Amino acid sequence: MEREELKKQIYNLIKEAAGKKKYKQMDVIKHFRNLGVPDAETKEAIRELVDGGLLIYTYMGGSYIELATKLEEFEKKILE
Amino acid sequence: MTKKYETPLLDELEKGPFPSFVTEIKKAAAKNPMAADELGLLERSYRDKITYWKHGGIVGVRGYGGGVIGRYSELADEFPGVAHFHTVRVNQPAGLFYTSEAIRFICDVWDKYGSGLTNFHGSTGDIILLGTVTDNLEPLATVLSLNGFDLGGSGSAMRTPSCCVGPARCEWAMIDTLHITYDLTQEFQDELHRPQYPYKYKIKVVGCPIDCNAAIARADLSIIGTWKGPIAIDQDRVRDYAKKGVDIQEEIVNLCPGKCISWDGNSLTINDEDCRHCFHCIAKLPGALKPTPPFGATILIGSKAPFVIGATLSWVIFPFMEMKPPYQELKDFIRTSNEWWSEYGKNRERIGELILRLGMREFLEVCGLKPLPEMVKEPRRDPFWFWKEGDLEGKPWESWLK
Repeated sequence: MEREELKKQIYNLIKEAAGKKKYKQMDVIKHFRNLGVPDAETKEAIRELVDGGLLIYTYMGGSYIELATKLEEFEKKILE
Repeated sequence: MTKKYETPLLDELEKGPFPSFVTEIKKAAAKNPMAADELGLLERSYRDKITYWKHGGIVGVRGYGGGVIGRYSELADEFPGVAHFHTVRVNQPAGLFYTSEAIRFICDVWDKYGSGLTNFHGSTGDIILLGTVTDNLEPLATVLSLNGFDLGGSGSAMRTPSCCVGPARCEWAMIDTLHITYDLTQEFQDELHRPQYPYKYKIKVVGCPIDCNAAIARADLSIIGTWKGPIAIDQDRVRDYAKKGVDIQEEIVNLCPGKCISWDGNSLTINDEDCRHCFHCIAKLPGALKPTPPFGATILIGSKAPFVIGATLSWVIFPFMEMKPPYQELKDFIRTSNEWWSEYGKNRERIGELILRLGMREFLEVCGLKPLPEMVKEPRRDPFWFWKEGDLEGKPWESWLK
């Protein structure tokens, strides 16, 4: 799979799961491993998405990957 | 001018001979509104017996999944200075060595971007900078980075490796704890900054079995300096200790776990084959007894206090590993074992817990290691060896019977 297409699919996976399921990095890697994507490629794509500011690492007992927009929503909510 | 709060309960903690954290917070509060509100909130917490802190781990620096621990106050209206009060972990230099200039730099930066309150150091080993707001995180990380500092680990990541002072200041160090820590920190930058494990993973390196950093009890991977040669004995100095009142029989011989020391009142004998390498005799008679090369490390895995089964000490995996740069055997082991843990570990399951759940046998197979007597953790327990059908197909007993 092309890198940009992979990034798009990872982003959509996280977006569609928002509010329903939290993905750890390994969960994302396993998901795309089942689609035939090598682990290293998924890892690198996640890194690019995080470095690009589209996804962030969050910590809620364990560390997860979530949409970057979550931070703003979270702070707004917690400060209310 | 910062806001002043009445703090009768906290004032009690300024009494007595020891330095008081309340005094330090008050000093910071005189010039920093965040520290002032922190003082007010703390007094309120003491009065109400409630902390009023909310822990939310969303905030961070772009590209990093660790290094910042989000903190928010439930009483933001009353104490606006601590509405956000995030903790920042900064990767400490190995052995905690600083120039006074470096410490001044950190303090100046923290006065500018945070509350001015710090912990040198947290129990993880990192420099802990207490209390800043979300908007200050990016500029703070940039300034730290431009001056040779970096954020430490937090969350489900490799935590900042830490070590004892090692050969820099200690006569007992049998490995270069400082270099090993520095090297591992550089090697595992990705694992440190991008949480990818089921839970936290701590590495602690100590130079000898005295274990000043308590690596055996606090680290998922404990690297403890040890030796393979015989213990060198200076009989004159042993006699000198005896003359000065050390009861060699009681304090040394009787406390030897290997029962390998004897003392006839004039000379000390050690049967090195039975030595358990606990270091008790050497530490009790410094100068009289010395470990001799080859030096290396015992590698243990899996300790932590709050396991479901209770506090657990690390488990010996490599009784002796040479510790020469680039430490490739160690790095390969860390990668192999952590891949297995990442694959099969449940959320918030430490590697030691996974080994307990799936068995040491499986762990050894994954790592390509053979079971050794040193791995037997407790007397009367052989927890990890079972025959498989494949093992029996070759009828191994036939060769034993011959």
